[in-house]
Amino acid sequence: MTAWWIRPGVRFFAALLLPFLVPAIITALIWALPGDPAEIICPPSTCGGTSELAARWNLDAGPMHFFREWVASAFQADFGRSWRVEQGLPVIDLLTESLPITLKLVGLALGPIFIGVIGAATGLIPSRADGFFSAVGLVPALVFSLLGSAAIVVRFGSNAFDMEADRWRLLIGAVVLGMADGAFAAAVSGVRGLVSAERNQRYVSIAVLRGERTLANMLPNVMPALAGQLRARVLHLLSGAVIVEVVLGLPGVGDLLWSGTLLQDFGVVLAAATAFAAISGALLVVQALVEVLVALHVRRTPFVEGA
Amino acid sequence: MSRSAAGIGALLALIVLAGLAATAPDHLTDANRDLAFAGPGLVGPFGADELGRSLLQYAQQGAGVVLGPAIAAALAVALLSTAGGLLRCAGDRRVEAVIQGLGEVLGALPRMVVLLVSALLIPSTERGLLPLALVWAVLAAPGAIDEAAAVAERLGGARFVEALRAHGFSRARVYLYHIVLLNLRPVVVRQASEVLLQVTFLELGLSYLARQDNQSSFTHSDSLKSWADLLYMGYTSIGLGMPTGHALWLGLGLVAVVTTMAKLTTTLVRAR
Repeated sequence: MTAWWIRPGVRFFAALLLPFLVPAIITALIWALPGDPAEIICPPSTCGGTSELAARWNLDAGPMHFFREWVASAFQADFGRSWRVEQGLPVIDLLTESLPITLKLVGLALGPIFIGVIGAATGLIPSRADGFFSAVGLVPALVFSLLGSAAIVVRFGSNAFDMEADRWRLLIGAVVLGMADGAFAAAVSGVRGLVSAERNQRYVSIAVLRGERTLANMLPNVMPALAGQLRARVLHLLSGAVIVEVVLGLPGVGDLLWSGTLLQDFGVVLAAATAFAAISGALLVVQALVEVLVALHVRRTPFVEGA
Repeated sequence: MSRSAAGIGALLALIVLAGLAATAPDHLTDANRDLAFAGPGLVGPFGADELGRSLLQYAQQGAGVVLGPAIAAALAVALLSTAGGLLRCAGDRRVEAVIQGLGEVLGALPRMVVLLVSALLIPSTERGLLPLALVWAVLAAPGAIDEAAAVAERLGGARFVEALRAHGFSRARVYLYHIVLLNLRPVVVRQASEVLLQVTFLELGLSYLARQDNQSSFTHSDSLKSWADLLYMGYTSIGLGMPTGHALWLGLGLVAVVTTMAKLTTTLVRAR
């Protein structure tokens, strides 16, 4: 039997590695592609001063040098300055402005998903509703976002960029993100499948015969899988946030990443991708913690009266 | 829905899309402002854009942009998930562990982020939907491999192969017929259909966002139009009251055709 701590240990390790892995892969790709790295990042056809940029970005002394310098600066919260998206502004400022918006959006989008998870686990959402949710989930985030954006324009008209409209934008974005691309449907059907499979286990029937509650007995056993499913859902939301933020005009990290990609602002893209990787790493840590807590709980020696 | 009805429906949808893609013109016809925003039937079956050009050409070019890369990505995922299922039956724990490790790392990255970084790094001369679709397929593969491997595990893995070999079946027949065709097929085809749909939506998303910012799309050259152009044009009918509702309906209709094709294909191959 494999030791219980190996899986959460691997997750902790992966979580630590992930924020470094993303810049490492990008670095490897830049140097693996044919041509001068500085010209890949900043093609001479679209931007001048390539050699100056190469020197400023440490691209002129090989991949190891570039990676080492970038990580050393990142540790001091220095991601350089944007050269296209917001020319001259420190990238860290752009990140700190946009990160709370993405976290709010994803946090709000998790609301309906949590309701769906609880409803599916407790049986409050009947399985016959799955067809409806999966039909709604077939609609791509882009189409829902367009409808949401149109609703904002129609409702607010020329005031579509005031505070009230911004609040509505965030709320509509959260609903779109939570429902589109099968996010809600997958959460509900995934949890339902997991819980119904566990409910059929023999120990649950025995627990019921002993007068114990089904959910309390099952929860420690399904918790690691539930945590895994929720992590996958949050990743899905983070991925979808790019389209929702850009279409609805929410200035989050997804919007920043998109602008950086479109305008070939390499520093912004590298920092935004690392921010996403760090969030993903944090999710891995949460999953590992849940697994550790469950493992400690199920291994605790039960108190037996008179023993 | 019966399998035969699903099969006929999926085939019809594929024929429509392939027909559109095969007849796509290299360039849009010349503008005729007298026919600007003409409704369906007046210029072609779907009406015209602001320059009086038939929207049918948009539908054709969009199908040409999306169909090949989406099918390529679907095939890539089908192949990778089939390999994952077969490896579980072969019972090589080391290879499985390596694949699982890679899957954990790939699965921990938000797909859109990886895709945008790839779009940034792909040289502008090599840009197109195909490389992005293949990146998406690689990112989607771990989930598909996991599911196919779980099906193979439920079959009994290496013991299933041994048992059938003991009955005198050849190795090729066991792997290709008993495992792939009879057991992995529903999972593999469903995963491939989902990726086909996702790549289509991805193209729409990327092209729409680029169009919104008046920039070139990562997925096709500037001389081609995507279905996202139809949605963008159609959106102005809601937001700005322009007479372009017919473009919106055409765009949504094309999305519905691809979605229906993917869902009917899944129904066609569902497990008995």
